[in-house]
Amino acid sequence: MSAIAELIREIDSLKPMPQIAQQVMALAQDSRTDTEKIANLIRFDPYITGDLLKMCNSAYFARSRSIDSVHDAINILGMDRLVDLVVMKCGAVNFAGEQRGYGLDEGALWKKAVSCAIIARDLAIRVGFSDRHLVFTAALLKDIGKVILSRFVGERFERIQHLVAEEGYSFREAEKKILGVDQSELAAIVAKKWGLSARLQTLIRNSHMPEGPVFSDAAANVVYVADQVCIMLGIGVGVDGLAYRFHREVLGALGLTARDLQQVIAGFGDKIREVEDLIGSF
Amino acid sequence: MKVIVGVSDMKVSAKPGDELVTYSLGSCIGVVIYDPVVKVGGMLHYMLPESSLDEEKAKRNPYMFADTGIPALFKASYALGAQKQRMKVLIAGGAQILDQQGFFNIGKRNHMAVKKMFFRNNVIATYEDVGGNVNRTVRLDILSGDMHIKVGGEGERKL
Repeated sequence: MSAIAELIREIDSLKPMPQIAQQVMALAQDSRTDTEKIANLIRFDPYITGDLLKMCNSAYFARSRSIDSVHDAINILGMDRLVDLVVMKCGAVNFAGEQRGYGLDEGALWKKAVSCAIIARDLAIRVGFSDRHLVFTAALLKDIGKVILSRFVGERFERIQHLVAEEGYSFREAEKKILGVDQSELAAIVAKKWGLSARLQTLIRNSHMPEGPVFSDAAANVVYVADQVCIMLGIGVGVDGLAYRFHREVLGALGLTARDLQQVIAGFGDKIREVEDLIGSF
Repeated sequence: MKVIVGVSDMKVSAKPGDELVTYSLGSCIGVVIYDPVVKVGGMLHYMLPESSLDEEKAKRNPYMFADTGIPALFKASYALGAQKQRMKVLIAGGAQILDQQGFFNIGKRNHMAVKKMFFRNNVIATYEDVGGNVNRTVRLDILSGDMHIKVGGEGERKL
């Protein structure tokens, strides 16, 4: 069996994205949706509600009073935040465990997923991009390909590393050359299999801008920059290191200067402990 | 006891059983200091070069920036009896993403910031392991003063 066929078979081992995540996202993206409709969807799902309240009460949200119900959560945190948390909760299950091929200990990839989603959300607010759930979800799920690819990268690490160290390839480019598929392509295949929207699939596939920068797609630019910030901070970085491509033009397309980039980093650094607490609340 | 130094964080110790460790330095810089006479060590993990970027954040957390974090690291170690002249000093991190150049190269700017501060204050780094496209983990054993570094997918080595 070819490596690609084997990889695609492994996708079946992932747990499907719970239906509620997609329903909540679809409702949240529709401006005519009544928030009560979303609340009901969440309220009657026991899988979500308990963990959701735990997350709402983490230090990340720094509330003086405890949040004891979905109703409280909506009133205190707002529907926007709640939708993000539902997506986060639904995404968590497949990021568990270690990704040894990438040199990632248990929890490291999930920490990157959550960090990247939060940075993307904050960045969307900063640049005035309105579809925050879209970039949040794309940033959260874009590394899912690594879960599948880990074993294959581990088995062929020396060849991949040779291309990176000696021939100027990025880690993703070397994956593509050696394995025939890279982490982003694989993540997009997973997204398709989970029935995520075509828009999300595209954002996930382009999260490393494999064809070079795409100036016209603000959502893709936001997700890309959020990922770059995580990599710079060493979050969820393993044997691949920082060997990814930096396209400064993408920052320009979002109207961000080098100083703005530092401010984005500082903004995340300011709440990194709270983010860790949020991750620990799962 | 293992004492983890997080991102934008600093710890000092004089406890013989302690081991300070900071994981996965990308563009950030880890500064590790150790005075073998009094067996006092410290570790800083800063993200950015200059606090002028956001003075309010620097006040809340001086360890986020080189120019506020480095003096705080040295002062905290002096308070435990360490002296600058006797110190072993390690600088690690400051990596960059491929093609990350000029003002956007935060790893390099972070490295320049510590070099500048050390030059002004007559501090000489005993070891430097900076740059490239790799992430690094460093640890310091307080009893022995041993410093270890792990770079990317390679094994850990003693400095």
